[in-house]
Amino acid sequence: MTISKKPGTTRKPTAPDAATLTRMLYYLKLTREAEYRIERVLYRQGKIVGGVYVGRGQEAIGVGSAIQLKEDDVVLPSHRDFSSFVIRGFRLADVFANWMARADSPNRGRDNTLHIGSLKLGVIPIISPLGATCPVACGVGLVLKRRGRGNVALVHFGEGTSSVGDVHEAMNLAAVMKLPVLFICNNNQYAYSTPTEKQYAVQSLVARGPAYGMPGTSSDGMDVLTVYDTVRRAIARARAGQGPSFLEFKTYRMTGHSAHDAAEYVPKIHLRAGTQRDPIQRLEKFLVARKILTRQRIQELERTINQEIDGAIAEAEARPLPAGETALEGVYCGLDCWWERPSVVRSPLSVAAEAEVRATHNGLRTPDKY
Amino acid sequence: MKALTRSQLHEIYYYLRLNRAVDEQLVKLYRQGKVVGGVYSSLGQEAISVGTAWALSPQDFIGPMIRNVGAMIVRGYKPRDIFLQYMARQGGPTAGRDANTHFGDLRRGVVAPISMLGELVPVMAGVALAARLRGEKRVALTYVGDGATSTGPFHEGMNFAAVRKLPILIIVENNRWAYSTPVEKQTALRDIAEKGKAYGIPATIVDGNDVLAVYAATRAAADRARQGGGPALIECKTMRMKGHAEHDDASYVPKEQIEKWRKRDPIARFEKFLFTKRLMTADEKAAIDTRIEKEIREDVAFAEASPFPAVEEAARPVWA
Repeated sequence: MTISKKPGTTRKPTAPDAATLTRMLYYLKLTREAEYRIERVLYRQGKIVGGVYVGRGQEAIGVGSAIQLKEDDVVLPSHRDFSSFVIRGFRLADVFANWMARADSPNRGRDNTLHIGSLKLGVIPIISPLGATCPVACGVGLVLKRRGRGNVALVHFGEGTSSVGDVHEAMNLAAVMKLPVLFICNNNQYAYSTPTEKQYAVQSLVARGPAYGMPGTSSDGMDVLTVYDTVRRAIARARAGQGPSFLEFKTYRMTGHSAHDAAEYVPKIHLRAGTQRDPIQRLEKFLVARKILTRQRIQELERTINQEIDGAIAEAEARPLPAGETALEGVYCGLDCWWERPSVVRSPLSVAAEAEVRATHNGLRTPDKY
Repeated sequence: MKALTRSQLHEIYYYLRLNRAVDEQLVKLYRQGKVVGGVYSSLGQEAISVGTAWALSPQDFIGPMIRNVGAMIVRGYKPRDIFLQYMARQGGPTAGRDANTHFGDLRRGVVAPISMLGELVPVMAGVALAARLRGEKRVALTYVGDGATSTGPFHEGMNFAAVRKLPILIIVENNRWAYSTPVEKQTALRDIAEKGKAYGIPATIVDGNDVLAVYAATRAAADRARQGGGPALIECKTMRMKGHAEHDDASYVPKEQIEKWRKRDPIARFEKFLFTKRLMTADEKAAIDTRIEKEIREDVAFAEASPFPAVEEAARPVWA
């Protein structure tokens, strides 16, 4: 399957201002370089162990969408949306520290990928049984709707995940309750080794929107300007109280499913087409042609990014690994559980027990910055 | 599609009437305390059960829901089987282990209803796939309510059926109420048939209270599926004329809505059609009345006289 040059909408996307365009290029290039270091350097050096999932070639989706979020908006990214985490405010060093399972990292060494979140930053972590974040997004959307401040939630998933029952239940609920949720489907044409011809019997998933009573679009996910514009319209709808939208973005998955998947089943023509449509080269070409940036400035940007990443990796690597003795901490609910708040009526026995635990407990706490 | 003969039309009429008669008898037994648990009526929806089941071939499969007793009867179950089952007698299809319609027989092409509605869609897709792998030209047909179309399994089953182009028919019995949830709160769509486009499954909408329309739509879809044309969705518009079950007084349903649909009663409509077109005489109807009355009377008596399962047998066959 090749992405036709005409996306789902025939109008040319209106480009955002120069500052936003430059920011988007920065995040695209930062994501590309950071994920290169994760997948092709640190993983191969054995400094990251376990599963490694990056979103090479698909960076435009995370960048073009998350860049538009305001404070109190919420994003539920997929494993292909590295940029969403960083744009919302996770520090690079903390992200690398999480990948390298350091004690001082968002998941304190218990996780080695991106199952990180922060209610303060408006990020809900990846849930590995994919599709499960969709009903969660509805719960978020319901809260946002009731708060009445025009906030939105973006939830990301792949075309494989779109076949999962959870997505169906969530989309139906969002449509019936007119929740401010954007269902963003990254159709990168392969769900692990399952090509789209075996995933669904339609040409594109655009009909999934109207099948629930919400608008649906199908657009070129390799062009960050198209992503930006399509998401902008859907966000505007949601903020205005007009309810959810389904957005399919077609991309090329330029890696295996994961670092341990050689993906020989992907035809070379697919990878060639993805290279030709690389989102970073496309945006650079656009910016240079419009004289928004020069090639020299872009090179400076690359140097800055490399320095930033070098520094972040060095900082993360310098942090210690968790001590083995702490393995059970954070497994059972401790003193930070929301239901342990003072407003809950406690028996004298449990109050005494709590005092004893506080005296001896090493208690892990989520870092205050998050 | 060949036109139905006079005797075929009478057979369809007989099944509609028998469906309702069994239903009414179950309500009586429930109120007498002879049936315990739940009785889920199919009042007003008989045309869907009978019209769909009647359109299938003997070798096809059905996966009924609880309001599709009429379909089970068309496929060969007798009123006494239903009464034995509901009154939990040893001689019933589940030997007294279930007091509702959770029974089936693969030899009769009936897959037992699953209470978690929506689950039958992937199950029947599997049945259809098995038949095709065996090289058999068999069609699978199953039912979902408007409520069940919101469930995850419905979605997964539909998509799978479409991708594999399985010979399965999904009958959406839109009776406008999922317990106390009106269809307007169930979906943002006016027609559930619109969901077919999401999967690439052709969908039609029929008047669920017109037994011949239901038959025609099902027959056309079954023929197409049998030739390898893939799945189809048929949305039958109807109305749930009573509560979710006998224990639900359905006070939340507007009376005007019930009255409006009472005028569209499927059996009254079909009778009027048959008489108007001179396809049935008063004597022929009377003969069917008598036949049904006798059948119900005898089968209730048989079931009431049947023994309960022995207490000592309770643990059999719980374990395989």
